[in-house]
Amino acid sequence: MDTNSKFLNPRINNGGLVHIDMQPSTTTSSSDSAAEGGGEAKWASKLLRECAAAMSEKDSAKMHHLLWMLNELASPYGDTDQKIAAYFLQALFCKATDSGRRCYKTLVSVAERSHSFDSARKLILKFQEVSPWTTFGHVASNGATLEALEGESNLHIIDISSTLCTQWPTLLEALATRTDDTPHLRLTVVATTAAAKSAMKEISPRMEKFARLMGVPFEFIVIADLNRLGELTKDALSIREGEAVAVNCIGALKHADVDERRSVIEMMKSLNPKVVTMVEEEANFSSNRNDFVECFEECLRFHTIYFDMLEESFAATSNEKLMLERECLRNIVRVLACDDKVEEHDSERREKGRQWSERLREAGFSAVAHSEDVVDDVRALLKRYRAGWSLVLPAEDDQTGIFLAWKDEPVVWASVWKPSK
Amino acid sequence: MTDNESTISTQNPLTSGSSPPPKKKRNLPGTPDPEAEVIALSPKTLMATNRFLCEVCGKGFQRDQNLQLHRRGHNLPWKLKQRSSKEVRKRVYVCPEKGCVHHHPSRALGDLTGIKKHFCRKHGEKKWKCDKCAKRYAVQSDWKAHAKTCGTREYKCDCGTIFSRRDSFITHRAFCDALAQETARVTAATHAPNFMDYHFLGMPQHFPSIFKPINDQTLDPIQAGHELTHSTHHPPFSNLSFSSLPPTTFYNLNWDITHTSSIPNHKEATVSSLFSTHQNQISSNHEAEASARMSATALLQKAAHIGATTTDPAMILGSFGVKCSDSGLVHQDGNRLCGLYSTSSVTSGFGSDVESSVNENSAMNGQLQMYSSSKRRRVQSHEEEGGETRDFLGVGINPICHPSSINGWI
Repeated sequence: MDTNSKFLNPRINNGGLVHIDMQPSTTTSSSDSAAEGGGEAKWASKLLRECAAAMSEKDSAKMHHLLWMLNELASPYGDTDQKIAAYFLQALFCKATDSGRRCYKTLVSVAERSHSFDSARKLILKFQEVSPWTTFGHVASNGATLEALEGESNLHIIDISSTLCTQWPTLLEALATRTDDTPHLRLTVVATTAAAKSAMKEISPRMEKFARLMGVPFEFIVIADLNRLGELTKDALSIREGEAVAVNCIGALKHADVDERRSVIEMMKSLNPKVVTMVEEEANFSSNRNDFVECFEECLRFHTIYFDMLEESFAATSNEKLMLERECLRNIVRVLACDDKVEEHDSERREKGRQWSERLREAGFSAVAHSEDVVDDVRALLKRYRAGWSLVLPAEDDQTGIFLAWKDEPVVWASVWKPSK
Repeated sequence: MTDNESTISTQNPLTSGSSPPPKKKRNLPGTPDPEAEVIALSPKTLMATNRFLCEVCGKGFQRDQNLQLHRRGHNLPWKLKQRSSKEVRKRVYVCPEKGCVHHHPSRALGDLTGIKKHFCRKHGEKKWKCDKCAKRYAVQSDWKAHAKTCGTREYKCDCGTIFSRRDSFITHRAFCDALAQETARVTAATHAPNFMDYHFLGMPQHFPSIFKPINDQTLDPIQAGHELTHSTHHPPFSNLSFSSLPPTTFYNLNWDITHTSSIPNHKEATVSSLFSTHQNQISSNHEAEASARMSATALLQKAAHIGATTTDPAMILGSFGVKCSDSGLVHQDGNRLCGLYSTSSVTSGFGSDVESSVNENSAMNGQLQMYSSSKRRRVQSHEEEGGETRDFLGVGINPICHPSSINGWI
């Protein structure tokens, strides 16, 4: 089998996807990784880093050699190393052949075609059951929001997030079961992607029904006429007199173009909210976007942790796990092989808590610590999952927010902000 | 209970017309005997736990009787106060917190322990925390009761999925397709006597003692610190979600959620006589509802003798946008309960922990207060649930009613 030529002449399959023939090589890989130095060997990251370095140095021969090796060893159906190798290999290949944009667009359209509301719902809920990756942010934010809006009778929560409303049932239940009078809740959800917009059609009636069931006076609005977050204006949100506004920003700001983030945050400030809850994944693909190797390393670091977490949280043969891994491919290709001028306005350039904090402070927000009660709720939440998760509280004074950590690596950041006096 | 039309919540006990019945009986909580002496203790006194101190060893006791008995151990002279033969004026206690519902004498509580617990729960600091779920309690016994069952409960969705975690259950429920169907049935079923039947079916499972003549007052929630939810704005669900079963000590039922196997038999024994005709109805499908109506009415009348509590129908009705007409009260109630029931299936699952005892007790009390004799027919769906039991869909608790049949008419 002449893998060299196969590699250099990649097949373009029907989906327009650059297809690198990867066969599940379970037996080969195990022996290979054994040869590499034992079960713990992180051969994938080593090879990938070297390849990225070679690419950046324009060392063509070395790059080709490493790509070939990775191709041999990688598999999206193997162990974590093999998976990481497989997905990053794809991104590297796209970068090398300058086909990142096309690859990304194909991946996006394939995903849109194959996902339905049912499958998305199943996926999200399953993920939330096996891992606190997303529920951490929900619990921290709901708790902080409820505390900030205590005593108010007209609540307006502006939901700029990727949660597809999975965070709200528990909040509705909390509102319904409070000992004082249940306030009126108006929930405005901002949807910028096609997938989110179509999902909202299914989610709207469900949220309304659920609120009715809970006995919470409820109004649900979806803003679906935007293509990007930067287009959202204060007027579009129609804030009413006497409403207590809370902005819930979970996993959404990273999708805004890096250059637009400042104005989005300023717009949030103009709403004069009682509280802003912000949750983002703890990774930085933003400040290093012009340094390929550095960005690559960070991307690799983050996704290695993520894949490891997925591996240990889901069952071995889980379909949901596979789908989540595939979603990562989209993100990795987007970050590493596309320039920022791609038309799809879904950036994936994550920033770390410290970076977001700086932005929020510049816009006139001050950090507020999560209360003891909320921190306890988060701790209780983590107890309900398998071992490996921990809560990291800010150590220094300038570090704001709390972190969810997987095997002691901070992975998700949750914070609370109020307008400064 | 049924006789006390005068004890509807809003009335001042001093202006109520009926004279106390000859048999000594407990009043509904928070609706005191008009002749009672109203006592207002200070917060400090209420919170003080061991006011009676032994002069020898300094040990504190909550009641004088306990101290006296203790004094025997020191060979000190002791005397237990005899109940005085002449009529002792009954005492009722008000909550010192201004703005609290029980601050007013007309809503005083009859039991010292009750007012203490109420004050703690509603106005006190929640010092006790469950480590499993981070729930906080002001009263240590509430916390202990909760800790026993926390994490042992299971929640079952209409779709059949079972959850061990409440938050996953809640989230799933909101997105579950079974929810959509359920609501459709609620609005479609304008008369749903089955609902009440289920109620009754559910009732004896946990409280066989309830099936006694009404004078026994077995339904008295006792010392509940209670919060009357008479506000029309108060969402019905707050009631429901808290109306989980009161702690087992309440009804002196030592039933442990893990031992559900004994329950079905027990239930069948007590239920069969009353509901045998109805059992078939329950398991029938939606179409049989109309025919079940007659037997439901009969059942209701029967049950009226037994006594039951209910939530305020108007609130629930309002929340479901169902009209409340004056005729056909039974069916109305059924209708309301229908909606109530379906939601309570959701919420009692949620609220099944002793969320805050005050809430559950208050819901109970609220409901008891709510009803007049004519309406007093339904058992709270959550009463059967209790702090320890799971949802009404009866995870292992309800053999008579197949869960799917509940959905059938809901």
